[in-house]
Amino acid sequence: MATKYFPNEPTGPKVVQFPGPISTAKKESLHKVFDSRATYFVVDYKKSIGNYIVDVDGNTFLDVYAQIASIPLGYNNPALIEVAKSDKMINAIVNRPASGNFPAEELEETIQDLLAVAPKGQNQVWSGLSGADANELAFKAAFMWYQAKKRGYATAFSTEENDSVMKNQSPGSPELAILSFERSFHGRLFASASTTCSKPIHKLDLPSFNWPKAQFPSYKYPLDKNEDANKQEDQRCLDIVEDLLKNWKCPIAALLIEPIQSEGGDNHGSSFFFQGLRDLTLKYGSLLIIDEVQTGVGATGTFWAHEHFNMSPAPDMVTFSKKFQTAGYYFHDPEIVPNVPYRQFNTWCGDPARMILGGAIGKEVKSNDLSAVCKRVGEYLYGKLEALQAKYPTYFQDLRGKDRGTFIAWSFESGATRDKFLTDMKQSGINMGSCAETSIRLRPTLVFEEKHADILLAAIEKVISGY
Amino acid sequence: MLRPIKHLRSIRAKRFLSTCESYFPDEPKAPILKTSTIPGPKSEQLNNELGEIFDNRATYFVSDYYNSKGNYISDADGNYLLDVYAQISSIALGYNNPELIKTAKSDEMTNALINRPALACFPSTDYATILNEGILSAAPKGMNKVWTALSGSDANETAYKAAFMYHHTKRRNGDFSAEELESVMNNELPGASDMVILSFDKGFHGRLFGSLSTTRSKAIHKLDIPAFNWPKAPFPSLKYPLNEFEAENRQEEDKCLQEFESIIKSYNGKVAAMIIEPVQSEGGDNHATPYFFQQLRKITQDNDVLMIVDEVQTGVGASGKLWAHEHFDLPSPPDMVTFSKKFQAAGFYFSNPELQPNQPYRQFNTWCGDPSKALIAKTIYQEVVKHDLVNKTASIGNYLFSNLKSLAEKYPILNLRGENFGTFIAWDCKDANERGKLLLSLRNKGINIGGCGDYSIRLRPPLVFEQKHADIFLSALEDALKEL
Repeated sequence: MATKYFPNEPTGPKVVQFPGPISTAKKESLHKVFDSRATYFVVDYKKSIGNYIVDVDGNTFLDVYAQIASIPLGYNNPALIEVAKSDKMINAIVNRPASGNFPAEELEETIQDLLAVAPKGQNQVWSGLSGADANELAFKAAFMWYQAKKRGYATAFSTEENDSVMKNQSPGSPELAILSFERSFHGRLFASASTTCSKPIHKLDLPSFNWPKAQFPSYKYPLDKNEDANKQEDQRCLDIVEDLLKNWKCPIAALLIEPIQSEGGDNHGSSFFFQGLRDLTLKYGSLLIIDEVQTGVGATGTFWAHEHFNMSPAPDMVTFSKKFQTAGYYFHDPEIVPNVPYRQFNTWCGDPARMILGGAIGKEVKSNDLSAVCKRVGEYLYGKLEALQAKYPTYFQDLRGKDRGTFIAWSFESGATRDKFLTDMKQSGINMGSCAETSIRLRPTLVFEEKHADILLAAIEKVISGY
Repeated sequence: MLRPIKHLRSIRAKRFLSTCESYFPDEPKAPILKTSTIPGPKSEQLNNELGEIFDNRATYFVSDYYNSKGNYISDADGNYLLDVYAQISSIALGYNNPELIKTAKSDEMTNALINRPALACFPSTDYATILNEGILSAAPKGMNKVWTALSGSDANETAYKAAFMYHHTKRRNGDFSAEELESVMNNELPGASDMVILSFDKGFHGRLFGSLSTTRSKAIHKLDIPAFNWPKAPFPSLKYPLNEFEAENRQEEDKCLQEFESIIKSYNGKVAAMIIEPVQSEGGDNHATPYFFQQLRKITQDNDVLMIVDEVQTGVGASGKLWAHEHFDLPSPPDMVTFSKKFQAAGFYFSNPELQPNQPYRQFNTWCGDPSKALIAKTIYQEVVKHDLVNKTASIGNYLFSNLKSLAEKYPILNLRGENFGTFIAWDCKDANERGKLLLSLRNKGINIGGCGDYSIRLRPPLVFEQKHADIFLSALEDALKEL
């Protein structure tokens, strides 16, 4: 597919000078008006193509970070260019509707395209604008659902609720919680940041809801040699979840979890663990929300990562953003739609321009079976990394992501070595990202193929063999 | 004989060509009604189908945006309504504005759409220019930096985050303590903050959890959602017409100011910031005088409370100034000004570099805004300047207001407000029931119009609303009022 989409894709990276002088100057001048302290380099997106990102100094990097896991089909994908230039897109951009009040004639079709790739068991979608937004909208749906269960779906609000809520007080603003996991990442707005538990820097100095955290399994690797220990670890974590569902100081409306904790270090959980969570949420009357913001849209070898777990019944909500370009949550229970209008509501209720793009991405992934490509390339890549691990074990600790497409990560002994590795990789023409304290994560696009994997692997070995 | 006359006519036509006519030569001359009620049958049918997969219970009618033009929104039945609601106040330059279409078709737009960057890590080479020529050129007086976001709620919440981090950093004098680093992971003090944002009764600032905690407009916006127990202050209830109640209104504002000052001084904890709309829009188009806002600015400065002005609905020209708070002649600029809606891009303006957190990755997320919206904002601003749309809106607003004032002598148009405030005009109906009837009757006469508060009607036309549109609106309104 890479060749079909990008006949002119570079055959390899090229580093002229990194960091280059133009990038450095532009970063500084941008900072006068926009905080650019996190800038890696300044990019010429018009010249970037396929798996290669080109900076303003003419450096060409093979990109296995892809805008923090958010570019699905490579830079300047011709299928997406066509969509961007379509009348439908132009119309969506210049006449952005308040879709809750004045839906466009074509809104149904736009939504159907998103539903065409809905996770198994989901048939409705509510749109937001980012991952954090998607999660918070899902929390709102969960809280309204929970209270409606208690009150009765069709029961009117009491005077006391109507009065107290205007003072942000109970019972109108009830004390309810979302349960999340240590090392999780779910966004950075106030409620989503209250569920995020990956790094202090994401959370410091912000007021937060005092919501509980359970423990996410910490497995021993390789998995196939540590099955018993890891199963015990699953059970230990499930027991903590159950204890919190039973005993937390306020009711827990929903449990929120990533199929793979990404920002938090690419931590995996087993099918047994996830089915255990599904059973516990059912037992205690909480909803199960799966956060597929980073894992969704093909990279793990299935369109949605939680489909690897075959949970039954399906989760109650699945949130998405990033590679889908559009954001929101899927669901299926009609009572997750609040009892009256204007409760799950805002001016725009999503962005049709991004929804159209999401629909097109879904179609490309499906029609070209790019999840299967990721599965195949991921197996190839993982096998080669295992070989490197055998050769350089110190630099490939806890290699993870077997059978998870290209969603692969491993750890170093220390953050310092990891950071040096990332810098050296940039000098070798690979743009790569980290996660947690000592890990690196691979987040290439869905058009990353064996030939790109070979370039990546050769660069890794060149850098590591020099240590 | 014919030639010179034709020539003359074309010159005359050109001289009198309005901005709206130059953008939309084919704009309907008046509403076009194909069905006796709106929504018509096709709209109903499409809405029912949509209801299978989308919460459609708030639908007014299903729109045909391809055929909408300028001030007129078209629906699925082929009706054309004069739109003085404009997507809840979020369409700046009319439907299918040719300049926006040009931008939407540009290579820059295609690039921004399909190569969406993680802006803070991998900014595009043209992002500084797009900001400088657009959003930052439009910055309110005293503001020279921006942090971009995705919606009004998002803009306000990122501003709150900036406020909290600013105050804690000032108090801390150095690195985070071990205790802070540890406690924050349990959502507990001292790493998590016990500071608060103060807002005003009837304010609307969005519907995510932090913004919703500051929203105080209607219970239905808030019910069943956990909230931060943050304080609120009273917003003045002015008596109209303003010139007849100057003394009473001053008293009312002084009372509110006293209460505001007393809350921030006696609050058990630190008020990091207050947030206020120049006109409380969702909450009923409640105005306060420049005096009130000037005093608020003084009190916030004296008490080390940041002042955030929420211009999500009021910003971008409709008030007859580019930013509504510029009407108030504040003694010093606000600390932050948030925007969204008509600007299509969202975020907050500021000038104090200390409102950027002391370290990177604190005010941060994957996208940090959306360059495709920043491009649209740039065109909107450039068109507003090129066609002097702010001043034009100020003058058409005056025309509209004086005519409404005349109507108010004959009909129940109560507490008419928004004088000298562009087209940002509203009034009260006798009660919610009568408001509902009036809105419906106007819609069936081809006017799309919205309510706010419990019994108010607000005008929120785009910036290409001109005298001819005002005349059509006023005559439809008079008919509707007669029939009440």
